Amino acid sequence: MICGFCGYEFEEEHGIKGCGGCSGGCHSIHCPRCNYKNPLESGVVKKLKTIFGKNIKKKGDKR
Amino acid sequence: MATCCSKQTEPTRNGNARKVALVGNPNVGKSVLFNALTGAYVTVSNYPGTSVEVARGSATINGEQWEVIDTPGMYSIHTITEEERVAREILLHETPDVVVHVLDARNLERMLAMTIQLIEAGLPVILVVNIMDEAERMGLVIDLKLLQQKLGIPVIGAATARKRGIDEIRSAIVTYRCACDQQRFEYSRLLERDINEVSCLMRGEYILSRRALALLLLQQDEEITELVRSREGDGHSLLAEKVREIAFDRRESFHLDLSLERNEMVRRIAIGVFSAPEKRVVTMAERLSRLAVQPLTGVPLLLIVLYFGLYQFVGSFGAGTLVDLLETQGFKEHFNPWITDVIKGIIPWEVIQELFVGEYGVITLGIRYAVGIILPIVATFFLFFSILEDSGYFPRLALLVDRLFKHIGLTGRAVIPMVLGFGCDTMATMVTRTLETTRERVVATLLLALAIPCSAQLGVILALLSKFPGALAVWGACLLLLFIVVGFLAAKVLPGETPMFYMEIPPMRLPQLSNVFTKTYTRMQWYFMEILPLFILASVLLWLGKITHFFEVVVEWMKPLMAAIGLPKETAVAFIFGFFRRDYGAAGLYDLQEKGLMDVRQLTVAAVTLTIFIPCVAQFLIMKKERGWKVAGTIGVFVSLLAFGSGYVLNKILLVTGLLS
Repeated sequence: MICGFCGYEFEEEHGIKGCGGCSGGCHSIHCPRCNYKNPLESGVVKKLKTIFGKNIKKKGDKR
Repeated sequence: MATCCSKQTEPTRNGNARKVALVGNPNVGKSVLFNALTGAYVTVSNYPGTSVEVARGSATINGEQWEVIDTPGMYSIHTITEEERVAREILLHETPDVVVHVLDARNLERMLAMTIQLIEAGLPVILVVNIMDEAERMGLVIDLKLLQQKLGIPVIGAATARKRGIDEIRSAIVTYRCACDQQRFEYSRLLERDINEVSCLMRGEYILSRRALALLLLQQDEEITELVRSREGDGHSLLAEKVREIAFDRRESFHLDLSLERNEMVRRIAIGVFSAPEKRVVTMAERLSRLAVQPLTGVPLLLIVLYFGLYQFVGSFGAGTLVDLLETQGFKEHFNPWITDVIKGIIPWEVIQELFVGEYGVITLGIRYAVGIILPIVATFFLFFSILEDSGYFPRLALLVDRLFKHIGLTGRAVIPMVLGFGCDTMATMVTRTLETTRERVVATLLLALAIPCSAQLGVILALLSKFPGALAVWGACLLLLFIVVGFLAAKVLPGETPMFYMEIPPMRLPQLSNVFTKTYTRMQWYFMEILPLFILASVLLWLGKITHFFEVVVEWMKPLMAAIGLPKETAVAFIFGFFRRDYGAAGLYDLQEKGLMDVRQLTVAAVTLTIFIPCVAQFLIMKKERGWKVAGTIGVFVSLLAFGSGYVLNKILLVTGLLS
């Protein structure tokens, strides 16, 4: 993903997640370079992307 | 083996899909090309034995199956970082049938050195000169045909982000044939002699050409040294001795000599291929970028952005038109009367009816506030926010305010929590932990609690005050004044130096619709899911407070305080709501205004006091978590006193001057 603030390109897994500050769980990825809070794609958006574009399979997933 | 000339692109290898590897520097558009080429299934996994991730996908090109590998960014075949090592491992061990080298047209000369290395290594290379659209806008001219001729490999111009050149790349991959006309790039006589002496001693079979391996050995590349040792067997000692001998002779300048010679090669290739205008063409985006960071133009530009974005779009359209449609017409006129009848028909007990459809009912208040008032406001706010974010405006804002922020003990870096604070102050308070010094963190936490309204609060206040421009100006002036004065005093009271601020700013660009809508939808969804249960809980607590008469006691208790700042006692309700959540309090204020309980002066005083008023429970808890009880408690008390103090002073000033009467 690309940071919305500094434009740094990083893998979602390399961002900083889960600091526990937000009620209702973490919904964002903080940029590892500037710490800007980038929104984590919601399930609906991911689903739509799966239908119309990509189905990103993470390590450990089975086809 | 995938070395050029060693094979044609056979239809399949043992029935498996053929492979194409995308290589190149970081941020040249490899991943965009990867996404454009691959189909529905993409896997992302760590490369064995490393923490580096490699994406693989499948593509069907002209009916043939291909595996596409997106390699990590690399600058040279002579590797330094783990990412580069993984990228080279893929070239060495996965024997791709085609290697697509993607480079940035704007930095063609700098990146061509790697193309030369790939060709030198005997790999089946296709060169993609990407980001051609930006290069053309900058007035750069690249003769792709001449470049192809000089390199002896297929060269394609592309702008993958705009889907330009994708078909040509697909076609080049599938029609790739042995590039026997690949150029051989000659080094100086001395270096050629060294390369020849080393490569002549090699007997093993390799993926990379012996010429490239000889250069890597002379650069003391450990992995290549190990690889050659394992392949050469008994002959290795002679080879190692020769490498040692040459390395010793040229120990002082080998890397520099090689680099200079490659630069000279690139320079020769670039003659006639690449030309830049004498006077650099300044693009519209660059011009806008300059205007945004210079104080003389940046401040008016900021005011224009705020006027159209916040005042007109969020305030007038979101909090005015949309809220009127949803809350007044949707809830008050249709939904609430209907649901009240339904609930009263089902539940016979009045006290339980009150819980759902009473004055503070879960449906008639909690859900109405969340859906009817807050949702349209945050939707328009997040849309405006996402447009600004995607355009690259925020880092420019950081540079613009850096000078002002230095006077209040902060730097431009503090723009990140401040900007995020307009979305939600709670998580913005958490982000203050990334500021460099404790002093900055405390000042930023204080200013967030004091003068930065969250999106919904801001939207409601804009909607309430937009009908009275004078009131809105007074509200804005009060907050700005408090922000600067309190920040300045805090910086004086707290010891410490203000650190330096520098950042690499990304290019400004036209916001992409898909990005903007995805981010807006995502933010709205999370925000709504977060507030809905809290609004329902707050309604239940308020209902409990009402049936136990505790609520009336609190309102009565706050009556003198409200009277002191010139507000009717009912306004206490909005302040109690505000303690649960800032946006809930703002919605309460909206209700009071709709009932006609306040005139313009009172509305202005209430808006100023409520904006500054003690942070909501969640923000307070995060303040405590981040800064500790002492600092959080001090800020809480200070902000509350200052809120009512400012309300009192403002009310007196407005009464005496007759302003807003």
